[in-house]
Amino acid sequence: MTGRLAGRVALVTGAGQGVGEGIARRLAAEGAHVVVAARRAGTGEPVAASIVSAGGSAVCIETDVTQRESVASCVQQTVDRFGHLHVVVHNAFTGAISHRLEDADLDRHWAAMSRTAVWGSFFCAQLAHPHLAAAGANGRLILVTSPSGVEGSANIALYSPVKAAQRALAKSLAREWGHLGITSNCIAPVAASPALITAFERNPALRAAIEDRTPLGRVGDITDDIGSVALFLASDDAGYVTGQTIVCDGGSFLGL
Amino acid sequence: MGDAATGPVSVVIRPDLDRVARPFDTITDEQWDAAWEAPMRAVIAELQRAFRSGARRIVVVLPTTAMSGGARYAHVAAPAEAVRVLVKSAARQWGAHGVTINAVAIAPEEFLASPDVAGPQSLAAAALSSRDPAALIDFLCSEASGDVTGQTIVVDGGVWM
Repeated sequence: MTGRLAGRVALVTGAGQGVGEGIARRLAAEGAHVVVAARRAGTGEPVAASIVSAGGSAVCIETDVTQRESVASCVQQTVDRFGHLHVVVHNAFTGAISHRLEDADLDRHWAAMSRTAVWGSFFCAQLAHPHLAAAGANGRLILVTSPSGVEGSANIALYSPVKAAQRALAKSLAREWGHLGITSNCIAPVAASPALITAFERNPALRAAIEDRTPLGRVGDITDDIGSVALFLASDDAGYVTGQTIVCDGGSFLGL
Repeated sequence: MGDAATGPVSVVIRPDLDRVARPFDTITDEQWDAAWEAPMRAVIAELQRAFRSGARRIVVVLPTTAMSGGARYAHVAAPAEAVRVLVKSAARQWGAHGVTINAVAIAPEEFLASPDVAGPQSLAAAALSSRDPAALIDFLCSEASGDVTGQTIVVDGGVWM
């Protein structure tokens, strides 16, 4: 298959749905061999099958990003199957439920978000590092964060710090791994993910509120809007971009 | 910190961050737990105690590594930046209660054991003799700072901009 990522191997976590799925589809459409890393094969397999039926190259590997052994197995299976690993996109996340900082039961919120966002980033980046280093100037680490990781959140207080931590990780690894040619960046999307669509169904006014505050007047598409930004960062075009956060939210957040 | 007789009840929090440089690919799960999980849980608990105790001014002191990142300091930058943005969430949630919360970012060498954190340098640092954040912290703990919340103010002589 030809394309901007022809021959490259990309591992995308949380690719069984939402933003991760959109990124996986976009990278595959440009020729990447894509590993759809999903916590449940039941969600990842259909995405991988759909990519293959569209002429792409994809495989689902059931992966729990909160467990080192599971991420290590996913990385090893990726390299065993495709021979290389050039691009890692850590998108998997769970636990963003409304809460206040003074709530007594914060730990259950914190544990889920910390494990998936921050520990998951730690495992993915560290375990992929030898392969990204081998990829040299084609090595890409992309962490999916959020505008809330910059501006804080009034509704989900602990979501912001875990997303902020990912931005700091990307900056630090940009500095630490730059001499190897690896780039390390973040994407901060607002997109029509299943979680957001569910929120729209529960609260129809929410979509209008988001669209009203968004200069482009719409909520992003997981593939065309968000996947395309990931494609840029994964491609040769972004070889001199590192340590950055690209906010792709239609202009809703303009604070960087 | 703070005296109810002379000003609002205030609390200053200084996260207990790791002070050792560590190449990212060598960090063990135990080290990551100590560098990330432990200080974050401690800060969250301190913030909750401060709020429940009626504090109206909260100041968190952290290194500019939060914003700059640092080679071999990913395990420091991550919790530092997380705390810095947690300050913004707290400011948004607790503003209606009359609570202000801000971050004071100081030079890494004032916070960490090793000064060799990668980051930009500027001539401004050489021109300024004091990096003591005490006066700024006093202001942020005073009544006069009542409209200042969710901010990060850097006190490092202009090294990080």
